[in-house]
Amino acid sequence: MQSYWFGDVEDGRCTLFIGDSHAIIDRVQSIITSMDTFVPPDWEQAVLCGACRDRHEYLARLQAVCIAAAERSIREHYSRKDAELLQMVRTLDEIDTVINLLSEKVAEWYFIRHPAFSRKYRRTPAHALVKTMREKSKGALGKVAGEIEHLATTRTVLAKEVSARANDVIPNTSALIGGLVAARLMSHAGGLLPLSRLPASAIQVLGARTALFAHLKTRSPCPKHGIIFQHRRVHNAPKEVRGKVSRVLAGKLAIAARLDFFRGVAEPDFLDKAQRRIDATVKRGEP
Amino acid sequence: MIRIGDVLVSQGEGGVYNERMLGGARVWDPYRSKLSALYHVGTGVELTPVMRVLYLGAANGTTVSHVADYVEAVYAVEFAPRPMQDLLEVCRRRRNIIAIMADAARPEQYAPLVEAVDLLYQDVAQPDQAAIVLRNCVFLKPGGTVILMLKTRSVDVRKEPAEVFHDTIDSLISAGLAVKERVWLTPFHTDHAAIVCIKPEV
Repeated sequence: MQSYWFGDVEDGRCTLFIGDSHAIIDRVQSIITSMDTFVPPDWEQAVLCGACRDRHEYLARLQAVCIAAAERSIREHYSRKDAELLQMVRTLDEIDTVINLLSEKVAEWYFIRHPAFSRKYRRTPAHALVKTMREKSKGALGKVAGEIEHLATTRTVLAKEVSARANDVIPNTSALIGGLVAARLMSHAGGLLPLSRLPASAIQVLGARTALFAHLKTRSPCPKHGIIFQHRRVHNAPKEVRGKVSRVLAGKLAIAARLDFFRGVAEPDFLDKAQRRIDATVKRGEP
Repeated sequence: MIRIGDVLVSQGEGGVYNERMLGGARVWDPYRSKLSALYHVGTGVELTPVMRVLYLGAANGTTVSHVADYVEAVYAVEFAPRPMQDLLEVCRRRRNIIAIMADAARPEQYAPLVEAVDLLYQDVAQPDQAAIVLRNCVFLKPGGTVILMLKTRSVDVRKEPAEVFHDTIDSLISAGLAVKERVWLTPFHTDHAAIVCIKPEV
Protein backbone atom coordinates (compact mmCIF):
# COMPACT_ATOMS: atom_id res chain seq x y z
CA MET A 1 0.00 0.00 0.00
CA GLN A 2 1.16 3.51 -0.78
CA SER A 3 0.08 6.30 1.56
CA TYR A 4 -0.12 9.76 0.05
CA TRP A 5 -1.31 13.03 1.47
CA PHE A 6 -4.73 12.69 -0.17
CA GLY A 7 -5.35 9.00 0.58
CA ASP A 8 -4.11 5.42 0.45
CA VAL A 9 -3.62 3.54 -2.82
CA GLU A 10 -3.58 -0.25 -3.02
CA ASP A 11 -3.68 -2.34 -6.22
CA GLY A 12 -4.92 0.67 -8.20
CA ARG A 13 -7.76 1.26 -5.75
CA CYS A 14 -7.76 4.46 -3.79
CA THR A 15 -9.24 5.27 -0.40
CA LEU A 16 -9.76 9.01 0.02
CA PHE A 17 -8.68 10.50 3.31
CA ILE A 18 -11.50 12.39 4.99
CA GLY A 19 -10.72 14.92 7.69
CA ASP A 20 -10.36 18.62 8.41
CA SER A 21 -7.23 20.68 7.80
CA HIS A 22 -5.68 19.72 11.15
CA ALA A 23 -6.27 16.03 10.58
CA ILE A 24 -4.60 16.16 7.17
CA ILE A 25 -1.51 17.85 8.62
CA ASP A 26 -1.34 15.19 11.32
CA ARG A 27 -1.57 12.59 8.58
CA VAL A 28 1.18 14.16 6.44
CA GLN A 29 3.52 14.43 9.41
CA SER A 30 2.88 10.91 10.68
CA ILE A 31 2.98 8.79 7.50
CA ILE A 32 5.99 6.51 7.55
CA THR A 33 7.09 5.76 4.02
CA SER A 34 9.30 2.85 3.17
CA MET A 35 11.55 4.24 0.43
CA ASP A 36 12.37 0.82 -1.08
CA THR A 37 8.90 0.27 -2.48
CA PHE A 38 7.91 3.91 -2.80
CA VAL A 39 6.14 5.15 -5.93
CA PRO A 40 5.63 8.95 -6.13
CA PRO A 41 2.03 10.18 -6.00
CA ASP A 42 0.19 10.91 -9.25
CA TRP A 43 -2.25 13.79 -9.54
CA GLU A 44 -4.51 11.85 -11.92
CA GLN A 45 -4.88 9.21 -9.25
CA ALA A 46 -5.95 11.95 -6.83
CA VAL A 47 -8.62 13.02 -9.32
CA LEU A 48 -9.91 9.44 -9.64
CA CYS A 49 -9.85 9.26 -5.88
CA GLY A 50 -12.04 12.35 -5.67
CA ALA A 51 -9.52 14.55 -3.85
CA CYS A 52 -9.68 17.20 -6.56
CA ARG A 53 -11.15 17.90 -10.00
CA ASP A 54 -8.08 18.84 -12.02
CA ARG A 55 -4.36 19.55 -11.96
CA HIS A 56 -4.95 23.13 -10.90
CA GLU A 57 -6.99 22.12 -7.86
CA TYR A 58 -4.51 19.36 -6.99
CA LEU A 59 -1.66 21.87 -6.70
CA ALA A 60 -3.80 24.41 -4.87
CA ARG A 61 -4.92 21.88 -2.25
CA LEU A 62 -1.45 20.41 -1.85
CA GLN A 63 0.03 23.89 -1.47
CA ALA A 64 -2.47 24.81 1.23
CA VAL A 65 -1.71 21.62 3.16
CA CYS A 66 2.06 22.16 2.90
CA ILE A 67 1.86 25.80 3.97
CA ALA A 68 -0.26 24.90 7.00
CA ALA A 69 2.08 22.04 7.94
CA ALA A 70 5.16 24.27 7.62
CA GLU A 71 3.52 27.02 9.67
CA ARG A 72 2.80 24.49 12.39
CA SER A 73 6.38 23.18 12.36
CA ILE A 74 7.77 26.70 12.57
CA ARG A 75 5.48 27.52 15.48
CA GLU A 76 6.51 24.34 17.30
CA HIS A 77 10.15 25.10 16.70
CA TYR A 78 9.89 28.65 18.00
CA SER A 79 7.84 27.69 21.04
CA ARG A 80 10.71 25.59 22.35
CA LYS A 81 11.86 27.35 25.45
CA ASP A 82 15.44 27.87 24.31
CA ALA A 83 14.58 29.65 21.05
CA GLU A 84 13.98 33.09 22.55
CA LEU A 85 16.74 32.82 25.15
CA LEU A 86 19.17 32.23 22.30
CA GLN A 87 18.24 35.50 20.62
CA MET A 88 18.22 37.37 23.94
CA VAL A 89 21.74 36.41 24.92
CA ARG A 90 23.07 37.09 21.41
CA THR A 91 21.51 40.55 21.50
CA LEU A 92 23.05 41.15 24.91
CA ASP A 93 26.55 40.26 23.71
CA GLU A 94 26.05 42.46 20.64
CA ILE A 95 25.04 45.41 22.84
CA ASP A 96 28.24 44.94 24.85
CA THR A 97 30.29 45.13 21.67
CA VAL A 98 28.45 48.24 20.54
CA ILE A 99 28.94 49.97 23.90
CA ASN A 100 32.68 49.28 23.84
CA LEU A 101 33.15 50.43 20.26
CA LEU A 102 31.13 53.62 20.73
CA SER A 103 32.84 54.49 24.05
CA GLU A 104 36.23 54.21 22.40
CA LYS A 105 35.23 56.40 19.46
CA VAL A 106 33.71 59.05 21.70
CA ALA A 107 36.79 59.07 23.94
CA GLU A 108 39.01 59.76 20.91
CA TRP A 109 36.73 62.65 20.00
CA TYR A 110 36.79 63.97 23.59
CA PHE A 111 40.61 63.89 23.67
CA ILE A 112 40.70 66.23 20.67
CA ARG A 113 38.55 68.77 22.48
CA HIS A 114 40.60 68.49 25.67
CA PRO A 115 44.25 68.29 24.65
CA ALA A 116 45.42 68.23 28.27
CA PHE A 117 43.21 65.28 29.20
CA SER A 118 44.78 61.92 29.90
CA ARG A 119 43.62 58.74 31.63
CA LYS A 120 47.06 57.92 32.96
CA TYR A 121 47.32 57.58 36.79
CA ARG A 122 43.59 58.11 37.17
CA ARG A 123 42.04 54.68 37.07
CA THR A 124 38.86 55.93 35.43
CA PRO A 125 36.54 53.05 34.56
CA ALA A 126 34.95 53.29 31.11
CA HIS A 127 31.45 54.11 32.36
CA ALA A 128 32.77 56.92 34.57
CA LEU A 129 34.62 58.38 31.60
CA VAL A 130 31.43 58.27 29.53
CA LYS A 131 29.63 60.16 32.31
CA THR A 132 32.31 62.84 32.44
CA MET A 133 32.18 63.21 28.69
CA ARG A 134 28.41 63.62 28.74
CA GLU A 135 28.55 66.27 31.46
CA LYS A 136 31.44 68.27 30.04
CA SER A 137 30.60 68.19 26.35
CA LYS A 138 28.22 70.32 24.37
CA GLY A 139 26.27 69.31 21.30
CA ALA A 140 26.43 65.95 19.56
CA LEU A 141 29.38 64.62 21.59
CA GLY A 142 27.46 64.94 24.85
CA LYS A 143 24.39 63.44 23.19
CA VAL A 144 26.29 60.37 21.97
CA ALA A 145 27.81 59.87 25.43
CA GLY A 146 24.30 60.11 26.87
CA GLU A 147 23.08 57.47 24.42
CA ILE A 148 25.88 55.13 25.53
CA GLU A 149 24.75 55.51 29.14
CA HIS A 150 21.19 54.89 28.04
CA LEU A 151 22.25 51.73 26.21
CA ALA A 152 24.14 50.59 29.31
CA THR A 153 20.93 50.83 31.33
CA THR A 154 19.09 48.77 28.75
CA ARG A 155 21.90 46.25 28.88
CA THR A 156 21.49 45.83 32.64
CA VAL A 157 17.76 45.21 32.25
CA LEU A 158 18.36 42.69 29.46
CA ALA A 159 21.09 40.90 31.43
CA LYS A 160 18.69 40.40 34.33
CA GLU A 161 16.04 39.03 31.99
CA VAL A 162 18.52 36.64 30.36
CA SER A 163 19.59 35.41 33.77
CA ALA A 164 16.04 34.85 34.95
CA ARG A 165 15.04 33.12 31.71
CA ALA A 166 18.10 30.87 31.84
CA ASN A 167 17.26 29.81 35.40
CA ASP A 168 13.89 28.75 34.07
CA VAL A 169 14.94 27.09 30.79
CA ILE A 170 18.24 25.49 31.81
CA PRO A 171 17.96 25.25 35.62
CA ASN A 172 20.76 22.75 36.27
CA THR A 173 23.34 24.35 34.02
CA SER A 174 22.44 27.79 35.41
CA ALA A 175 22.78 26.58 39.00
CA LEU A 176 26.35 25.45 38.30
CA ILE A 177 27.73 28.49 36.46
CA GLY A 178 25.07 31.19 36.66
CA GLY A 179 22.35 32.03 34.18
CA LEU A 180 24.30 34.44 32.01
CA VAL A 181 27.27 32.17 31.37
CA ALA A 182 24.97 29.17 30.94
CA ALA A 183 23.00 31.06 28.31
CA ARG A 184 26.23 32.01 26.52
CA LEU A 185 27.31 28.37 26.45
CA MET A 186 23.98 27.44 24.93
CA SER A 187 24.19 30.20 22.36
CA HIS A 188 27.67 29.03 21.27
CA ALA A 189 26.50 25.43 20.98
CA GLY A 190 23.50 26.61 18.91
CA GLY A 191 20.70 25.60 21.30
CA LEU A 192 19.86 23.28 24.14
CA LEU A 193 19.74 20.12 22.03
CA PRO A 194 23.19 20.65 20.48
CA LEU A 195 24.60 21.63 23.90
CA SER A 196 23.25 18.46 25.50
CA ARG A 197 24.94 16.43 22.77
CA LEU A 198 28.39 17.95 23.32
CA PRO A 199 31.05 15.99 25.19
CA ALA A 200 32.44 17.62 28.34
CA SER A 201 35.80 18.24 26.66
CA ALA A 202 34.08 20.34 24.00
CA ILE A 203 32.06 22.31 26.57
CA GLN A 204 35.31 23.06 28.40
CA VAL A 205 36.82 24.88 25.40
CA LEU A 206 33.60 26.25 23.89
CA GLY A 207 34.41 29.82 22.86
CA ALA A 208 38.16 29.22 22.61
CA ARG A 209 38.09 28.21 18.97
CA THR A 210 41.15 30.17 17.84
CA ALA A 211 43.32 28.76 20.61
CA LEU A 212 41.97 25.25 20.07
CA PHE A 213 42.69 25.18 16.35
CA ALA A 214 46.07 26.81 16.91
CA HIS A 215 46.78 23.93 19.28
CA LEU A 216 45.63 21.30 16.81
CA LYS A 217 47.63 22.76 13.94
CA THR A 218 50.81 23.93 15.67
CA ARG A 219 52.54 23.04 18.88
CA SER A 220 50.95 25.76 20.96
CA PRO A 221 49.52 24.64 24.33
CA CYS A 222 45.89 23.58 24.38
CA PRO A 223 43.31 25.99 25.84
CA LYS A 224 42.20 25.16 29.39
CA HIS A 225 38.91 27.04 29.28
CA GLY A 226 36.61 28.94 26.95
CA ILE A 227 33.43 30.69 28.00
CA ILE A 228 33.43 28.90 31.36
CA PHE A 229 36.40 31.10 32.34
CA GLN A 230 33.79 33.82 32.95
CA HIS A 231 32.54 31.83 35.93
CA ARG A 232 34.06 33.02 39.21
CA ARG A 233 35.16 29.58 40.40
CA VAL A 234 37.30 29.24 37.31
CA HIS A 235 38.83 32.71 37.06
CA ASN A 236 39.26 33.08 40.85
CA ALA A 237 40.89 29.68 41.22
CA PRO A 238 44.67 29.58 41.81
CA LYS A 239 46.47 29.36 38.50
CA GLU A 240 47.81 25.85 39.14
CA VAL A 241 44.37 24.31 39.58
CA ARG A 242 42.44 26.41 37.09
CA GLY A 243 42.70 23.74 34.41
CA LYS A 244 41.52 21.08 36.83
CA VAL A 245 38.58 23.16 37.99
CA SER A 246 37.45 23.90 34.46
CA ARG A 247 37.70 20.20 33.53
CA VAL A 248 35.64 19.07 36.52
CA LEU A 249 33.15 21.90 35.97
CA ALA A 250 32.79 21.04 32.27
CA GLY A 251 32.17 17.41 33.18
CA LYS A 252 29.34 18.37 35.49
CA LEU A 253 27.98 20.86 32.95
CA ALA A 254 27.70 18.12 30.35
CA ILE A 255 25.55 16.11 32.75
CA ALA A 256 23.56 19.21 33.74
CA ALA A 257 22.81 20.07 30.10
CA ARG A 258 21.45 16.58 29.51
CA LEU A 259 19.29 16.82 32.63
CA ASP A 260 18.01 20.17 31.38
CA PHE A 261 17.18 18.78 27.97
CA PHE A 262 15.51 15.56 29.07
CA ARG A 263 13.93 16.56 32.39
CA GLY A 264 13.85 20.37 32.36
CA VAL A 265 13.68 20.75 36.15
CA ALA A 266 16.40 21.31 38.74
CA GLU A 267 17.77 18.12 40.31
CA PRO A 268 18.80 19.06 43.89
CA ASP A 269 20.65 15.77 44.53
CA PHE A 270 22.80 16.08 41.46
CA LEU A 271 23.44 19.80 42.01
CA ASP A 272 24.42 19.29 45.61
CA LYS A 273 26.98 16.60 44.78
CA ALA A 274 28.29 18.47 41.77
CA GLN A 275 28.76 21.74 43.67
CA ARG A 276 30.67 19.99 46.44
CA ARG A 277 32.88 18.20 43.95
CA ILE A 278 33.72 21.44 42.13
CA ASP A 279 34.40 23.32 45.36
CA ALA A 280 36.67 20.52 46.55
CA THR A 281 38.68 20.80 43.35
CA VAL A 282 39.01 24.56 43.81
CA LYS A 283 40.18 24.18 47.41
CA ARG A 284 42.58 21.32 47.25
CA GLY A 285 43.30 21.07 43.58
CA GLU A 286 42.37 17.43 43.57
CA PRO A 287 41.44 16.00 40.22
CA MET B 1 16.03 30.36 -21.22
CA ILE B 2 15.05 33.98 -21.70
CA ARG B 3 17.84 36.48 -22.15
CA ILE B 4 17.64 40.20 -22.82
CA GLY B 5 20.99 41.00 -24.37
CA ASP B 6 23.46 39.29 -22.02
CA VAL B 7 21.13 39.39 -19.04
CA LEU B 8 19.32 36.27 -17.89
CA VAL B 9 15.75 37.06 -16.84
CA SER B 10 12.55 35.28 -15.88
CA GLN B 11 8.95 36.29 -16.49
CA GLY B 12 6.95 36.76 -13.33
CA GLU B 13 5.71 39.02 -10.58
CA GLY B 14 8.62 41.17 -9.38
CA GLY B 15 9.60 42.55 -6.00
CA VAL B 16 10.39 39.20 -4.37
CA TYR B 17 13.76 40.36 -3.05
CA ASN B 18 14.06 43.82 -4.61
CA GLU B 19 15.47 42.31 -7.80
CA ARG B 20 16.13 44.60 -10.76
CA MET B 21 13.50 44.60 -13.50
CA LEU B 22 14.34 44.79 -17.19
CA GLY B 23 11.58 45.35 -19.73
CA GLY B 24 8.99 43.89 -17.37
CA ALA B 25 11.06 40.79 -16.62
CA ARG B 26 12.95 39.88 -13.46
CA VAL B 27 16.74 39.98 -13.67
CA TRP B 28 18.28 36.72 -12.46
CA ASP B 29 21.62 37.71 -10.93
CA PRO B 30 24.44 35.14 -11.32
CA TYR B 31 26.24 36.54 -8.27
CA ARG B 32 23.25 35.81 -6.06
CA SER B 33 21.99 32.58 -7.57
CA LYS B 34 24.19 29.61 -8.36
CA LEU B 35 21.73 28.32 -10.92
CA SER B 36 21.91 31.59 -12.81
CA ALA B 37 25.71 31.36 -12.60
CA LEU B 38 25.51 27.91 -14.19
CA TYR B 39 23.60 29.36 -17.16
CA HIS B 40 26.38 31.93 -17.56
CA VAL B 41 29.40 29.61 -17.36
CA GLY B 42 27.84 26.44 -18.79
CA THR B 43 24.67 25.11 -20.40
CA GLY B 44 22.76 23.43 -17.55
CA VAL B 45 19.32 22.34 -18.67
CA GLU B 46 16.61 24.24 -20.50
CA LEU B 47 13.72 24.97 -18.10
CA THR B 48 10.35 24.50 -19.83
CA PRO B 49 6.72 25.24 -18.86
CA VAL B 50 5.87 21.52 -18.58
CA MET B 51 8.65 20.68 -16.13
CA ARG B 52 8.19 19.63 -12.51
CA VAL B 53 11.12 20.32 -10.21
CA LEU B 54 12.20 19.04 -6.81
CA TYR B 55 14.33 21.75 -5.24
CA LEU B 56 16.34 20.71 -2.18
CA GLY B 57 17.76 23.46 0.00
CA ALA B 58 15.32 26.16 -1.04
CA ALA B 59 16.50 28.69 1.60
CA ASN B 60 14.79 32.09 1.30
CA GLY B 61 13.14 31.27 -2.00
CA THR B 62 15.23 33.63 -4.11
CA THR B 63 16.30 31.12 -6.75
CA VAL B 64 13.09 29.13 -6.26
CA SER B 65 11.03 32.11 -7.38
CA HIS B 66 12.98 32.33 -10.67
CA VAL B 67 12.71 28.60 -11.31
CA ALA B 68 8.97 28.82 -10.63
CA ASP B 69 8.69 31.52 -13.32
CA TYR B 70 9.90 29.00 -15.91
CA VAL B 71 8.37 25.68 -14.89
CA GLU B 72 5.00 24.12 -14.09
CA ALA B 73 5.54 23.23 -10.42
CA VAL B 74 8.36 23.41 -7.88
CA TYR B 75 8.55 21.26 -4.76
CA ALA B 76 10.80 23.34 -2.48
CA VAL B 77 12.30 21.57 0.52
CA GLU B 78 13.90 23.54 3.34
CA PHE B 79 14.77 22.50 6.88
CA ALA B 80 15.57 25.64 8.88
CA PRO B 81 12.62 27.62 10.32
CA ARG B 82 14.01 31.12 9.76
CA PRO B 83 14.45 30.92 5.95
CA MET B 84 11.23 28.89 5.81
CA GLN B 85 9.30 31.97 6.99
CA ASP B 86 10.54 33.84 3.91
CA LEU B 87 9.98 30.88 1.61
CA LEU B 88 6.35 30.63 2.75
CA GLU B 89 5.85 34.30 1.90
CA VAL B 90 7.10 33.64 -1.65
CA CYS B 91 4.96 30.50 -1.81
CA ARG B 92 1.76 32.36 -0.86
CA ARG B 93 2.23 34.68 -3.86
CA ARG B 94 2.92 31.94 -6.42
CA ARG B 95 0.58 29.12 -7.21
CA ASN B 96 3.19 26.67 -8.43
CA ILE B 97 5.53 26.49 -5.42
CA ILE B 98 4.91 23.75 -2.86
CA ALA B 99 7.01 24.63 0.20
CA ILE B 100 7.90 21.65 2.38
CA MET B 101 9.59 21.94 5.75
CA ALA B 102 11.68 18.80 6.04
CA ASP B 103 15.22 17.46 6.01
CA ALA B 104 16.41 16.82 2.45
CA ALA B 105 18.54 13.94 3.74
CA ARG B 106 15.39 12.13 4.85
CA PRO B 107 13.05 11.88 1.84
CA GLU B 108 10.71 9.56 3.76
CA GLN B 109 9.55 12.68 5.63
CA TYR B 110 8.09 14.30 2.51
CA ALA B 111 7.60 11.34 0.16
CA PRO B 112 3.76 11.37 0.38
CA LEU B 113 3.76 14.92 -1.01
CA VAL B 114 6.18 14.91 -3.94
CA GLU B 115 5.27 13.76 -7.45
CA ALA B 116 7.65 12.31 -10.01
CA VAL B 117 9.77 15.21 -11.29
CA ASP B 118 11.79 16.05 -14.40
CA LEU B 119 14.53 17.95 -12.59
CA LEU B 120 16.16 17.36 -9.24
CA TYR B 121 18.02 20.47 -8.13
CA GLN B 122 20.11 20.29 -5.00
CA ASP B 123 21.85 23.13 -3.17
CA VAL B 124 22.27 22.07 0.46
CA ALA B 125 25.22 22.84 2.71
CA GLN B 126 25.81 19.28 3.92
CA PRO B 127 28.90 17.09 3.87
CA ASP B 128 27.15 14.21 2.08
CA GLN B 129 25.68 16.04 -0.90
CA ALA B 130 26.07 13.13 -3.33
CA ALA B 131 24.31 10.72 -0.95
CA ILE B 132 21.40 13.14 -0.55
CA VAL B 133 21.01 13.32 -4.34
CA LEU B 134 20.98 9.54 -4.62
CA ARG B 135 18.41 9.16 -1.88
CA ASN B 136 16.13 11.63 -3.68
CA CYS B 137 16.51 9.99 -7.09
CA VAL B 138 13.31 7.98 -6.45
CA PHE B 139 11.36 11.13 -7.26
CA LEU B 140 13.18 11.60 -10.58
CA LYS B 141 11.62 10.27 -13.79
CA PRO B 142 13.86 8.05 -15.93
CA GLY B 143 15.75 10.34 -18.29
CA GLY B 144 15.35 13.21 -15.82
CA THR B 145 18.12 15.63 -14.93
CA VAL B 146 20.01 16.18 -11.70
CA ILE B 147 21.72 19.50 -11.02
CA LEU B 148 23.98 19.38 -7.97
CA MET B 149 25.50 22.59 -6.67
CA LEU B 150 28.58 21.39 -4.85
CA LYS B 151 29.76 23.54 -1.95
CA THR B 152 33.22 22.07 -1.65
CA ARG B 153 33.95 23.97 1.54
CA SER B 154 30.88 22.48 3.25
CA VAL B 155 31.90 18.94 2.30
CA ASP B 156 35.34 19.07 3.88
CA VAL B 157 37.30 22.24 4.67
CA ARG B 158 40.59 20.39 4.88
CA LYS B 159 40.39 18.80 1.43
CA GLU B 160 41.26 20.61 -1.77
CA PRO B 161 38.09 21.75 -3.58
CA ALA B 162 39.19 19.90 -6.74
CA GLU B 163 39.53 16.66 -4.79
CA VAL B 164 36.02 16.98 -3.32
CA PHE B 165 34.75 17.72 -6.84
CA HIS B 166 36.25 14.51 -8.26
CA ASP B 167 35.14 12.35 -5.32
CA THR B 168 31.56 13.56 -5.69
CA ILE B 169 31.53 12.92 -9.46
CA ASP B 170 32.94 9.42 -8.87
CA SER B 171 30.22 8.51 -6.38
CA LEU B 172 27.50 9.82 -8.72
CA ILE B 173 28.87 7.78 -11.65
CA SER B 174 29.23 4.63 -9.58
CA ALA B 175 25.56 5.00 -8.58
CA GLY B 176 24.60 4.80 -12.25
CA LEU B 177 24.08 8.46 -13.15
CA ALA B 178 25.53 9.77 -16.40
CA VAL B 179 27.46 12.99 -15.85
CA LYS B 180 26.64 15.43 -18.64
CA GLU B 181 28.40 18.56 -17.49
CA ARG B 182 30.80 19.56 -14.74
CA VAL B 183 31.83 23.16 -14.30
CA TRP B 184 33.21 25.54 -11.67
CA LEU B 185 31.07 28.58 -10.98
CA THR B 186 33.95 31.08 -10.90
CA PRO B 187 33.99 34.07 -11.10
CA PHE B 188 30.45 34.24 -9.68
CA HIS B 189 30.93 31.86 -6.73
CA THR B 190 34.32 30.67 -5.45
CA ASP B 191 34.89 27.01 -4.49
CA HIS B 192 31.44 26.10 -5.83
CA ALA B 193 30.89 23.70 -8.69
CA ALA B 194 27.88 22.51 -10.66
CA ILE B 195 27.42 18.91 -11.74
CA VAL B 196 24.68 18.05 -14.24
CA CYS B 197 23.70 14.36 -14.53
CA ILE B 198 21.06 12.32 -16.31
CA LYS B 199 19.18 9.43 -14.74
CA PRO B 200 19.34 6.60 -17.30
CA GLU B 201 16.15 5.34 -18.98
CA VAL B 202 15.40 1.85 -17.76
